[in-house]
Formats: sequence, structure tokens, C-alpha cells
Amino acid sequence: MQRRVVITSVGVISSLGFTAEEIICNLKNENTSFEKSIFDDEVVVSPIKEFDVKNFAGRFKDKRYLNRGAQFCVASAIEAVKKAGIDKKLLAESGLFLGTGPNLDIGGEFPEIKDGEIDRKDLMALWMLKFLPNTAASVIARLVGIHGENHTLTTACSASIQAIGEAFRKIKHGYIDLAFAGGGDSRLSKSAILAYKKAKALFNGMDDPDKASRPFDKSRAGFVPGEGGAFFLLEELEHAKSRGAKIYCEICGYGASIDGYSMTAPEPEGKWAERSVNAALQEAGLTSSDIDVVSSHGTGTLLNDSMEADLIDRVYGKRAPFIIALKSWIGHIAAACGAVELAICLACMQNSYLPKIRNLDEPCHDRLNFVREEREYPIQSILLENFGFGGQNSALIVRKY
Amino acid sequence: MDILEEITKILSDILDIDDRNISPETYLIRELGAESIDLLELAVALNSRFKIDVNDDEIFLRKLRQYITKAGQQNKDILQYLAEKIPFLTRKRLEDIITDLEGGPTLKVKDLMAYVEMQRNGN
Repeated sequence: MQRRVVITSVGVISSLGFTAEEIICNLKNENTSFEKSIFDDEVVVSPIKEFDVKNFAGRFKDKRYLNRGAQFCVASAIEAVKKAGIDKKLLAESGLFLGTGPNLDIGGEFPEIKDGEIDRKDLMALWMLKFLPNTAASVIARLVGIHGENHTLTTACSASIQAIGEAFRKIKHGYIDLAFAGGGDSRLSKSAILAYKKAKALFNGMDDPDKASRPFDKSRAGFVPGEGGAFFLLEELEHAKSRGAKIYCEICGYGASIDGYSMTAPEPEGKWAERSVNAALQEAGLTSSDIDVVSSHGTGTLLNDSMEADLIDRVYGKRAPFIIALKSWIGHIAAACGAVELAICLACMQNSYLPKIRNLDEPCHDRLNFVREEREYPIQSILLENFGFGGQNSALIVRKY
Repeated sequence: MDILEEITKILSDILDIDDRNISPETYLIRELGAESIDLLELAVALNSRFKIDVNDDEIFLRKLRQYITKAGQQNKDILQYLAEKIPFLTRKRLEDIITDLEGGPTLKVKDLMAYVEMQRNGN
């Protein structure tokens, strides 16, 4: 019999809150954290205020090696472990799959850098750990006692959906019975802002920060960086049932592809991005008409949103699913966007609630079913899309169980 | 700069523990659980705060057991041999260390203090 995979725990650290209840409440009240960056007043960001990894993980000395993105990884993973309610033996057997980003905070790490000289008397002996992509995995595993199969994926904005997708397949194909999967990221530092501003990817210049993130709107002008993390316990269905675990949803399909087109821009027709969406549908044994909601990548950049709108139009045709764009609420969390968006999607599924796409005044595509007013809806299935720098594409399908 | 106070600050920072867990008699590895990676950071911090050259092998008594074996092989007086090799520790302290070997790594906070003291006086 085909093994099925379900999600049995959710840990999330987002600007909308740390629990499903908080997230739904803040969606309904439109409580967002958009504000001007303290580093550049032309740039808007969506930070998480008063975050301290100690509040989640307690005191631990390895904290000194965690960049801010890795701290979100660790904090949300610990949350998922706490809520999983599994014993040490199961934890030891669990896999661990993460999507992480680079530490772009070069200026913060080396404030006096000059002539390429980064050495100074108090430079940490193992300063490199703050830049290695698998530091978060190492710290999580040690803190909670995970010893199973592990991968750290660094496929840009598609990384955490791919981490979840890879974990899903490892369980489905019988290599492991359970795995924690997700990601964390933060790119709000001075250097990170500079990086995306120079790449002309950032929203730039409007007076009202609340209006900056506007996926699929004709006047969209770039993405707004956010931060956070989310982790899930993925578990084989019978395994979950036998221990009486709470089941949040079933994961039924995953797909990924690479454009082979540009280092930054998506292939304009979304040809290869579509391949990842179709692969996910095929694995799930579903057709596009079975999908209720598309949680779009919707960055608010000119190129992504026009590509993605055309792609959705092609894949779903006349039977248009609801389209949501969660980056209009939390900004773009880079490598962790997929994980945090999945956590919000599950909160919405649980509460039969569809949040509107904020700031969508004039849609860039007229046939699509963008959610423009919040509404109640008994969501049965969601397809999540994430497309990243480097032409990384991914799609994941979850279904109510 | 008070050496104990400063070392306490460094240790509590690196190991993320409370100051009150640290005294001159505290064992670094046995009690505070310092690992090799922590000792690397400790050497950097001592180096930077006290402006001294820290030799990791010397300050963390890494060759202690090697010295003891060698003294035995060469039929030398262990205490005398150690006193020559580890000049920053007093004879009294070295005697204590020799009787304490079975309990595990003997390095104490006061040994770090003695090393810093010696290096500063040397400068």
C-alpha cells in the first residue's frame, strides 16, 4: 500500500504571530509589521520585533554561531519539536530537512572591514560558523537529539518548500517514518538590503510602508523583505495514527525544477516553473481542477508576478482556484518563505479562512481569481508555489485530512 | 582590570552561564562542560581582552599528561619536571593537580588567572 505523509506538528515564528490563533487574528485585524528600514528610508521591511531565540531554546552556548536567519530556524524547529509530543527515541530516529539562506550581514559581522582585512583581535575562532549553511541543522540536532537523515537545502527562495518536499518523499518512499522540515531566514541587515537594492529587486520609495508589498497589482514595484521561520513534523500516516497524533493536513505532491535561463530573472513564460507545478499535481494524482487555493509566490516584483499570473492562467484555465499572496502580509522571507507561508496556509485551512491579497487595487491579470476580500471558505486543498533566484522552482500540495 | 572579574565575564559570555557558577576553584571542563570549540574562543577572548599572547597548549594544560608520562619514562621527579614545563603554576597547585588526575581534566579557572598574570608580568 502506498505510504501517505501527514503533518503532525507546526512551529512558526512570523510577523503575524507564533500560533495559528495569533496568525488568524492578525490577518483579520490587518496587523502587519511593515515599516521603513532603519538602514535605508527608501526601503520597507517586515521585521519581527522583540525576537530572542533564548525564549524558545533556553540558554545555549552555540547561540553565538547563529546568524539571525539561523536563529529563526532554530527557534521554529524547537517550537515544532515541543508541540510534536514525541519521545527521545522517536526524535533520535527523525530526519531533519532545512532550507537556509546565506548570511548577507557582511557589514554587521565585519564593521571595520578595509582592504579585504577582516582579522581583528576579538574575531571569533569559529566565525565561519555564522556563514556556513548547515550551522542551524547542527545546532537543532544537538539541542533536541535528532540523529536521522539530514539535508540543508540552499536553493534560494524555493529552499524551504524543497526541504519539506524532500522530507515528504523520503517518508513516502520508506526511508524514514518521520522528519522535521522547514526553514528560517532574515535579510533585513544593512548589507542584505544593499544587495537586493542593487539588484533592483526591492520595493523602493513610497511614503506609506503598508502599501509597499503589492503582489499582482499593476503598480507593484519590487518585494519587501521579511523574516521568520517555520518547521513541521512530517510523519507517515499510520505512524501518526498509531500514536494518536493530531493531524494538520496531508502532503500529497511535490515538484521542483530549474529554469536554466537567468541568474536572477525568472524565465518569462514560466515554462519550467510550470513543470514543477505539474510534477506536484502528478505526484498527488490530482488535476488542476482539484485545487481550491493557490498560495502564490507573489513577490510583488514585475517579472515574477507577470510570469506567475500567466502560469496560473495556463495551468488552471477556466476553473480558476482562489489565489492568495501571503507576501502582501509578511513580506518575502527568502529561503524560509515557503515554510512560513505553509504555516499560515494551515492556519487558514484549519479556520476555513481566506485572507485577501493586500494592496491589490488593479490586478495585473484580468482572468484570475485573486482573493480581494477576505472570506470564509472550507479549504480542502492548497498548492503552494515558490520560485527563487537562480531559476529555482518548487510546488507543494497539501490536502485537508 | 581585575583578572578574575574579567575571566568570569569572558566565560559566562562564551559558555552562556551565570557568573555565580564561576569561581577560581571551578573546573572548566569537568564542571562547566567547556569543549574544544569553547577553549578556542576562550583563547581568542583572553588574547584580545588582556592583550597577551595566548598559547593554547600551555594555558589549557594540554600536554600535562604527556609531561607526566615523559617524566616517568626518563625517571625524573614528576613535580620538578612539571614545574619546569608549566612555570606559571605554583608547586602547591601542581601537587594538587597530580593527586587530582583521576577525576578527569584538572584545568581550573585559577590556572587561567595564573597564566594571564604571568604573561602580563612578562610583558
